[in-house]
Amino acid sequence: MIAASIARFRGPGFYRAALGFVLGIAFAAAITWVIRAATGHHTFPHYLKGEAILVVSLIASPLFFLVGLGGFDYWFAWAAGKPTQPEDHSSHGAHGWKDYFRINTDHKVIGIQYTVTSFFFLLVGGLLAMLMRIELAQPGAQFVDANTYNGLFSVHASLLIFLFIIPVFAGLANYVLPLMIGAPDMAFPRLNALSYWLLPIAGVMMLSSFLAPGGAFADGWTAYTPLSVDAPVGQDFFTLGVQFAGASSIMTALNFLVTIITMRAPGMSFFRMPLLVWANFATSLLVVIATPFVAASQFFILLDRALGFNFFNSGNGGDVLMYQHVFWFYSHPAVYIMMLPGFGIVSEVIAVKSRKPIFGYRMMAFSLLAIVMLGFTVWAHHMFTSGMAMWIRIPMAVTTAIIAIPTGIKIFSWLATLWRGVLHLDTPMLFALGFLTTFTLGGISGVMLAMVPFDIHVSATYFIVAHIHYVLFGGSLMTIFAGVYYWFPKMTGRMYDERLGKWHFWTTFVFFNLTFGPMHILGLQGMPRRVATYADQFATLNLIISIFSFALGLSTLIFIYNMVTSWRGGPRASANPWRAMTLEWQVSSPPPIFNFDRVPTVVGGPYEYGVPGAVHGMFAPPPLPATVGAGSGSGGGSSGGSGGSGTVGGGANPFGNE
Amino acid sequence: MEAASVTHAAGRAAHEGAPSGAQAGEHGEHHGPPPANRSSRVEPQLLGMLLFIISEVMVFGAFFTAYFFIRVAQGDPWPAVGTTLPVEVAGVNTLILVSSSFTLHWAEAAIKRGNHFGLKAGMVVTFLLGATFLFIQINEYANIGFAPQDTAQATIFYGLTGLHGAHVTIGLILLLIVCIRAFRGHYSPEEHKGVEIPGIYWHFVDIMWIVVYLTVYVI
Amino acid sequence: MNVHTPDSGSSDSRSGSRRSLIFAGVAAVISIAIGVVLSYVIHWFPVQASTQAKETDTLYHVLVIASIPIFVLVVTVILYSVWQFRMKPGEELKDGPPIHGNTRLEVLWTAIPAVILLGLVSYSFVVLNNNEKKPAGPEIQINVTGQQFEWSYEYPSSLTGGAPLKSTQLYVPMNESVYFNIKSVDVIHAFWVPAFRLQIDAVPGITTHWRATPDRLGSYPVVCNLLCGVGHSLMRSAIHVVPQARFRQWLALQANSAPGRQ
Repeated sequence: MIAASIARFRGPGFYRAALGFVLGIAFAAAITWVIRAATGHHTFPHYLKGEAILVVSLIASPLFFLVGLGGFDYWFAWAAGKPTQPEDHSSHGAHGWKDYFRINTDHKVIGIQYTVTSFFFLLVGGLLAMLMRIELAQPGAQFVDANTYNGLFSVHASLLIFLFIIPVFAGLANYVLPLMIGAPDMAFPRLNALSYWLLPIAGVMMLSSFLAPGGAFADGWTAYTPLSVDAPVGQDFFTLGVQFAGASSIMTALNFLVTIITMRAPGMSFFRMPLLVWANFATSLLVVIATPFVAASQFFILLDRALGFNFFNSGNGGDVLMYQHVFWFYSHPAVYIMMLPGFGIVSEVIAVKSRKPIFGYRMMAFSLLAIVMLGFTVWAHHMFTSGMAMWIRIPMAVTTAIIAIPTGIKIFSWLATLWRGVLHLDTPMLFALGFLTTFTLGGISGVMLAMVPFDIHVSATYFIVAHIHYVLFGGSLMTIFAGVYYWFPKMTGRMYDERLGKWHFWTTFVFFNLTFGPMHILGLQGMPRRVATYADQFATLNLIISIFSFALGLSTLIFIYNMVTSWRGGPRASANPWRAMTLEWQVSSPPPIFNFDRVPTVVGGPYEYGVPGAVHGMFAPPPLPATVGAGSGSGGGSSGGSGGSGTVGGGANPFGNE
Repeated sequence: MEAASVTHAAGRAAHEGAPSGAQAGEHGEHHGPPPANRSSRVEPQLLGMLLFIISEVMVFGAFFTAYFFIRVAQGDPWPAVGTTLPVEVAGVNTLILVSSSFTLHWAEAAIKRGNHFGLKAGMVVTFLLGATFLFIQINEYANIGFAPQDTAQATIFYGLTGLHGAHVTIGLILLLIVCIRAFRGHYSPEEHKGVEIPGIYWHFVDIMWIVVYLTVYVI
Repeated sequence: MNVHTPDSGSSDSRSGSRRSLIFAGVAAVISIAIGVVLSYVIHWFPVQASTQAKETDTLYHVLVIASIPIFVLVVTVILYSVWQFRMKPGEELKDGPPIHGNTRLEVLWTAIPAVILLGLVSYSFVVLNNNEKKPAGPEIQINVTGQQFEWSYEYPSSLTGGAPLKSTQLYVPMNESVYFNIKSVDVIHAFWVPAFRLQIDAVPGITTHWRATPDRLGSYPVVCNLLCGVGHSLMRSAIHVVPQARFRQWLALQANSAPGRQ
């Protein structure tokens, strides 16, 4: 009995993780005590006030937790020089729901872990937005006080940026990207598992800041100094939460890049890769190069807060504006980190659902790379009113206008792909088309904001709130919904309810525009953002916005209901319900545990719809000669349901679900 | 060119696929994935380390941005009035760290020739040189006469050298692991990635120090 | 299970009939016209109370009018495609024509937006320059200080003729250029006068500026537009634009009644 419970704590898992968490706090308290004693800070009651211990705990206990969970077991054995053991794949794949709650090295399991976790944070973040809209329904303070309100929007933005949009794209790509390039897994499966587990840690940390004395961090997701330096202890939950989310992001990006470069199937040249792979390649480059800057910006804040450094102390020669430069040097590329994978999803959906090759494939790929490069040259357009040197505004405005060109190329190319296609207007396609309209609006308001005199008026107003929601909700979230519906059959082996999906789209699309459209006018009229209360003249529009925002929130329930019930009891999905050519659809739904029984060979482009006899990839050698070379570019082919045989581009019964 | 590589790869896949195909009848039960295609000549671990170093360079880039704003944009005197930087001591320390890159290279060359003693000796010497560097750096902090809380210049001095010190620490941990594995007889002329890849990181730490030394102490 | 070869330019609806294309074009033109009219009908902005506001509003209208055709184009293509090219019964296995691209089209939709964008951004620099250049006439200076959570103003000795005057009220003369020197004593604020369409951050450690020529009498809100803490949403003040004579009069009155005046 006792031996059994001790064994529980010795093996990797949640018991040992909980133990690690506690040990982490103890370790933090001990080391804080030792260092303070060594440097001559004596007064004992101060240890109990504990801000120093809290900060060290926030660093140490997550790491101890991960050690307990088993995230480092392999590396510890390796570091200790133990004999290398052959991989037994015991940590790979899921046989039951419990396998989703442990360190798992299967990219498909990790993809689902990522996606489900980030949707959880979408719901939490959305709920925080509902609370904000309750407060904003009328001028004056009725529901929460100003400090709580500031905490609400700060946590809302931080969760949705760092815990939803960025990781959900990483999750979807984690699932489909190795399949798409014909790889059995990611390049570094253990690193992949670790980068997932950093994510719930970051999310829980940010959320738990509501419990901190003085309330949650309350200076926005931008955490401008010096406000954030003097803020109550809740700020540390953001400062350190970002480090964990950022580390997760960088590790995943490294993994994607190495996987894409070294693990493509034979014949999968760069210009035969699906655009989703291109998009994640570009995004990962951005993450690897830019994310260290946000990590450093929060290090600066941490050092200023915890140790009294002078990075931002203007009284001692520090530079307040330096924070904004470092922060936006990450956070503008971050906008593209949050958008490019969506471009990839939309390219997949529109090509497949229009039954046409993507228009201008190479320009689509090059425009992604152009956005990556230009993305690093525009950061100071967030700072037109910051008081920085005036001349910087001129080059930044020009580059900001120019970066709209590659984005425009993409939009026009998608439109041209629609032209004369055979449009299947099911849920993923509706979301893709909805994305095109709302994102165009977001792009247009973005170009307007590049115009310095106009930006000077609306910077940091509700016009900006409207703009970023048109880009991140109307842009990113629409593509995320499109991607989730599109790959739902592949990931779960079930079909979603098409009727509910359409309801979800129309309610989301209509209420989204009714919620965020009027915010443009509020901003132009002079309503600042991040305010718990506002002048009476804005009351009517705010009430209208609040009402529609609740409807928008409710529309998400349709989605949740559809996902949950379809996953549990939806009709079985065939291997390739959309008759898509890319490789992930050529294996069973869900795919076999190691993706492919043999690595496919790629012989053509990924979107050759309508090209007679076109084949993207094939499984060699052909086990059943009869199924090969049937010229089944679009329709035919054998069932190939279990994966591993049959030509690519064929597929199962396309009427399965329509 | 394209076509040739496809047929070649297809042939290879055919060759390798045959044994696993036989077991593929009940999938889920067969052991391990099919070997992934290698679509690039570069080692995945090497590529991962190089990309990680790009990230690391950007972390330093952010700290150098802070340095630029405080020293150049603000135009404050450097170092802060009434303080001096121990350029000579740090110069000697630079030589120590740079020489560790050479001993590391020696260790790598030794294992490529199958010389295990050379590997162990080289790794231990490298580790000790790195540890000496770190010790001298900490000693410098203790005797430098100003604290990061004093001025922004002091802050960025401690920031940059401290960031580098943290990287030296990480590098030392990696070197220590290589030492342990070397003493446990792990590497061979055929298999020495485990020495080379941490080694690249250590070279990066060295080169970064030269940049830090030149910008912070010399210029 | 059979491959449909694309048939282009036949009676098939895939190419869209000429009549439906004309209809879509007419609908698009009408939508653009409605959009342009709407852009003038909607009251986007608060009143214009400075010469700068007029320039900025004109820029905004130009931007909106340039944007409407682009947006209408995108939406028209989407709606037209949905209308004409949606899958019809019996087309479940049909594919579209394998069009991979069109270099001329791609060059066009790269070059035309580039020209439009560079034109707009150049025009915006003209407006920026007009708004920020020092006027020929005399100019007064007023110092603005932001602190949690209120604005205070200082009228320097060049205005008062004596000691500088500190006040929580902001009066400015009509038709005279005012140059604001903006500072902060604690965290970052933003000094924003929506009626002037001008704002800039008040940053600790540096002094920032903007200039405006008020040209409409009245009182307008001054708003802190950068999150500065718990009282941010109530950090508001007012700017009173008064005739020049009254401005001097007000200054003199304040200077005499101000406590602590030497």
